[in-house]
Amino acid sequence: MHDTTLHEPDQALHIEDITVSYGATPALWDIDLNIPPGVMCAIVGPNGAGKSTLIKTALGLVRPVAGHVRFLGRPVAQMRGKIGYVPQRHSVDWDFPTTVRDVVEMGLYHQLGWMRRPGAHARKKALAALAELGMQDYADRQISQLSGGQQQRVFIARALVQDAPILILDEPMAGVDAATEAVIIALLQRLRDEGRTIIVVHHDLTTVQSYFDWLVMMNVRIIAQGPMSEVYTPENLRAAYGRQLAMIATPAEGRNM
Amino acid sequence: MSALADLLSSGIVRTVLMGAAILGAISGMLGAFAVLRRQSLLGDALSHAALPGICLGFIIAGTRDLGSILMGAFVTGALAALVMMLIVRRTTLKTDAALGIVLSVFFAVGVVLLSWVQGQGGAASAGLASFLFGQAAAILRSDLWIMGGIGLTALALVLALWKEFKLVSFDADFARAQGFPVTGLEAVLTVMVALAIVVGLQLVGVVLMVALLIAPAAAARQWTRTLGPMVVLSAVIGAASGAAGALISAASRGLATGPVVVLIATGIVIVSLLFAPQRGLIWQALAKRRARARISDGRVLTTLQGLAAAHSDANYPAEQGMLEAALGTRAPSATIAALEQRGLIQPVTHPPETTPHWELTAAGHIEAAALSGKHSPKSDEGTQ
Repeated sequence: MHDTTLHEPDQALHIEDITVSYGATPALWDIDLNIPPGVMCAIVGPNGAGKSTLIKTALGLVRPVAGHVRFLGRPVAQMRGKIGYVPQRHSVDWDFPTTVRDVVEMGLYHQLGWMRRPGAHARKKALAALAELGMQDYADRQISQLSGGQQQRVFIARALVQDAPILILDEPMAGVDAATEAVIIALLQRLRDEGRTIIVVHHDLTTVQSYFDWLVMMNVRIIAQGPMSEVYTPENLRAAYGRQLAMIATPAEGRNM
Repeated sequence: MSALADLLSSGIVRTVLMGAAILGAISGMLGAFAVLRRQSLLGDALSHAALPGICLGFIIAGTRDLGSILMGAFVTGALAALVMMLIVRRTTLKTDAALGIVLSVFFAVGVVLLSWVQGQGGAASAGLASFLFGQAAAILRSDLWIMGGIGLTALALVLALWKEFKLVSFDADFARAQGFPVTGLEAVLTVMVALAIVVGLQLVGVVLMVALLIAPAAAARQWTRTLGPMVVLSAVIGAASGAAGALISAASRGLATGPVVVLIATGIVIVSLLFAPQRGLIWQALAKRRARARISDGRVLTTLQGLAAAHSDANYPAEQGMLEAALGTRAPSATIAALEQRGLIQPVTHPPETTPHWELTAAGHIEAAALSGKHSPKSDEGTQ
């Protein structure tokens, strides 16, 4: 049953020939993507470029029309629990009756297996993950009492608690305060330095160069991918963003997407 | 009270009471998940769509056999859910419109079938009408076994799949990314809700069944902070409403049980919405008032502090009118009286003027400094 012949095991994420369509127009068109292990990679592109769709497809949440995905050479079904996923914060109801620690422990449910409840060990790991994000004092709070930045930290702690070699985050900086953004970036960079692969859907071109070392630029198709210095060029920006480029290319004006 | 004892001594009433409590508990327990997953209205469509199934089950079995009636109700309910899903996915209609169409069409078919069956005559067919608004007295001892079996199955599933159900209800995408069979888990939850509706129909009827699903969960959410207590409390409220409704309906002969149960459950919801700590409307109104009063107090203190600072006099006597002008609004005398009572300000005379004047006390200066973050002027004259 186990696939012993790994396909592209040297890539943390390998995507080949992926096409996804919702209805008539394709959301992703013939995507070929390689992200090597140990990088901190940003996925950027204009609204509607298919950034979230790309990571949802990689995680098996969206079924592609064609193509295949491999994490460290294996299909996603064999990598369950080894990929930390941080969905967009607004994808859940924060009035759900549960506590911060409980949400973080959800990251361990897969490891626990069927019929087993989280115990003292899970509690310890959850508290440690919360401490990494400066949220240890909020462990027993209701999640409905959290601010946007705190919600985002809890979501990241839930992915962190899995101790996964690959972390995928969907717009983690959207609508969070500057302090939270600094905490998140510092943590992600430290995780990268430990050898993990960090993949982030990012929307802020003014910070992308300073935060990340690998870049994927896309707009339904892949425009460019590779090390930051090679990919972040005016030609690629123009190809991805088109006419809006004039506003982006001059960071002095402080305009971002 | 002896009337109640008489009532309870009857074996039939005990059966009805037990059946009503079991049905209420099942609805409450599964309703909690339905409400959290925003499927309350799906429950409404399912229960209305059960009516044609009830009639078909009766027609096929030829008698009022609970097994075949429930099976029929389940089949047409599931069919309605399927049709609704197809409409939402294949057409441009949104969920609410699809729900409205499916609900009324299935219910219309059910009413047509019901009147046809009743037109055929036969003693048993008369009992079918009780499925419209529920008739707890119609619950038989043999029915208890079916209800108890379904209740225990649902309880066992909820206990066994507790953390999976919680995860799927909170964040289905994350659960799927973790490799949980989300579609399967969601299907189990939805089927269980459909089962709860189907067995609850006898008690509450197809028209009002959705209330027994939503009301206990909505009330329980007000009093609890986590899922476990919410589900337990919701089941308890469901059981209590069911039992109380059945008792009242049995005591006054012929009263339809469903509306009574729903009114009791809704009463509990209203009390919960008003009085629950933290989430209750009254609690929130009081908290808001306290906060406003605190801010208004703070504004008076910092205004006095500012006046004192502007005049480099810690004991600067401010006229009431100055306070009002500085606040841009009339400082209510109640606020001033409350501050005086707390020892933060004290009245002073400022001859030759005869109007009331106020100055900050030492405690008032400390409080004002804490609020404004500015130090009060040193009291180089007067007493401190």
